[in-house]
Amino acid sequence: MPAKILICDDDEGILDLVDLVLGGEGFDTIAEINSLNVTGVIEREKPDLVLLDLWMPVLSGDQLLRTLRSNPQTKHLPVLVISASSDGKSIAMNAGATDFIPKPFDLDSLVNKVKRLLPAN
Amino acid sequence: MDNLNKGEFTFSNDTIKNDFELLREALDASLSGIIITDNQQPDNPIIYCNKAFEKITGYSRSQIIGHNCRFLQKDDRDQAERAIMREAIKKGDHCVVDIRNYRLDGTLFWNELYLAPIKDDQGKIKYFIGVQNDVSRRKKAEEELRVNQTKMEQRIRERTQSLRESEEYLASIVQTVRESLIVLAPDYTVLSVNNHFLRTFKVSREETEGKSLYQLGNGQWDIKELRKLLEQILPTNNPVVDFEVTHDFPHIGKKLMLVNAHRIELEGNYKDRILIAIEDITERKSIEQRKDDFLSIASHELKTPLTTIKGYVQIINRLMPDSADEKLKNAVSKTTVYVERLNNLIGELLDVSRIQSGNIELHKEPFDFDHMVDEAADSIRQANSSHEIVINGSTDCQFNGDESHITQVVTNLLSNAIKYSPDHKQVSVHLSVVSDFIKMAITDHGVGISRDEQHKIFERFYRVRETQQRFPGMGIGLYVCSEIIKNHGGTLWVESELGKGSTFSITLPLQEAKGAENAG
Repeated sequence: MPAKILICDDDEGILDLVDLVLGGEGFDTIAEINSLNVTGVIEREKPDLVLLDLWMPVLSGDQLLRTLRSNPQTKHLPVLVISASSDGKSIAMNAGATDFIPKPFDLDSLVNKVKRLLPAN
Repeated sequence: MDNLNKGEFTFSNDTIKNDFELLREALDASLSGIIITDNQQPDNPIIYCNKAFEKITGYSRSQIIGHNCRFLQKDDRDQAERAIMREAIKKGDHCVVDIRNYRLDGTLFWNELYLAPIKDDQGKIKYFIGVQNDVSRRKKAEEELRVNQTKMEQRIRERTQSLRESEEYLASIVQTVRESLIVLAPDYTVLSVNNHFLRTFKVSREETEGKSLYQLGNGQWDIKELRKLLEQILPTNNPVVDFEVTHDFPHIGKKLMLVNAHRIELEGNYKDRILIAIEDITERKSIEQRKDDFLSIASHELKTPLTTIKGYVQIINRLMPDSADEKLKNAVSKTTVYVERLNNLIGELLDVSRIQSGNIELHKEPFDFDHMVDEAADSIRQANSSHEIVINGSTDCQFNGDESHITQVVTNLLSNAIKYSPDHKQVSVHLSVVSDFIKMAITDHGVGISRDEQHKIFERFYRVRETQQRFPGMGIGLYVCSEIIKNHGGTLWVESELGKGSTFSITLPLQEAKGAENAG
């Protein structure tokens, strides 16, 4: 069983790229463009890792992250935050992110980070 | 002469001829012209004149005797003084007048004429004695004096007029200037304010002038820190520079005001007054804030599609078969280089917005300074085979600072040195320890920077005008460098000569607290 990874970003370009790369690495990927759907998708799909953008309309990444952390079901779910924001790292870590990767990222470092964060490893 | 008794002549029959001759000689010795006219004869003719009278008038005795003395006036008969004379003659009084007379040769002279009547026992005027002095020279001096006086008065009038105009002119500037001005007495009482002050704070002159500065409005200027600064002005002559006051002012609400104050450098009436200039920078600050926000958002928004492009280029590179056309491979590799360049530019923009919002985060750890410089130079050498970078000296120091930031500074200064010296291939770096500071100087022999541009190049978005065409850039690098060095308590400066090259130097304090003290 390949690890299941949920990617949430409001930018379709990023979503397609990450989906393509991680799919290419043999992971089972789910791409979600609307942050409001994420909790439902997690409940249904039970992903092993979530990749989360910060600046998203309506429900921002850090708000979503706080909700996940307050829920016992998702409290320990590994979440890798991806952001182009200059203060993204501190916002993400304060909201309870497991790790952070800045945009623009190198594909190899993204894949390496993802592999490190997966609990099976 | 027999006797001179109590100042009176006395004559005797024996000596009368001699005595008379003596008196006549005395009259002839006089410098004043003397005549006697006989009022008992028609037209009051001259019956006697002395030598001086002949000399003054140029006429000889034979041309004088028998004439009325008006012949001296020739045709110049409309003199006001004649009325005075006529009046005196009629009443039998003395008089002194200055009248214009003419010599035999027609030339004018001023005659100071003393006219005295000689009366008989019944008071009837028998003779007039006229004593004349040529006062032309005095008259001329008087005339000159009068002309000078008139000129002087005219000049004073003009000067007063021009002073008043210049005062009004200055006042109109003071009233028109779009900055609020207050003049304070040494005890901080408001002496005057300009119109802009009244308009800005929506107050009247009456509720402002004559009051203490600290009592104005709702005590908006009664700020401990500002009080301290203002009280230092007169004793130390230190001005208050760009003091920001954020306050909820009466009538106008919450505003950000910039206060500058200094002593009025005048003696006399205006000694020890304080001029305060207040500028409302609320709007300017908010525009600056919006611009910073814009920069931050723009660079964020640019990074997102850039991430995608960078990722896809990486994927293309991976998928590229070895057998692919060299031209295609070359195109893709160029794309990689330029995507990276774009990324760096966006990174710089982000740096600026971060510095502007005060979010520059330093992660300080001791690092080997010389090694860091070596590595930075190596990375530049790899990218620029055209130039030679020579490193002299060493610091042999561990520096406690943010290595990635300091590396950014060194890299930036080195790339600038190369960028701006296209025709000279050597760039040298000199490392040393001076007192308790690390010093690094990077010298190029390139285009150089003119003196008046030198201090501006550290401002953000500043570009030296002539270089804009030849050397593209955003004018961010040096600004970021100087902010980073400042944040480490150090200094960054340039020495340069146009056409000869530049030396950019940095110093960084080895002991931070002490260094910061020295720098301050």
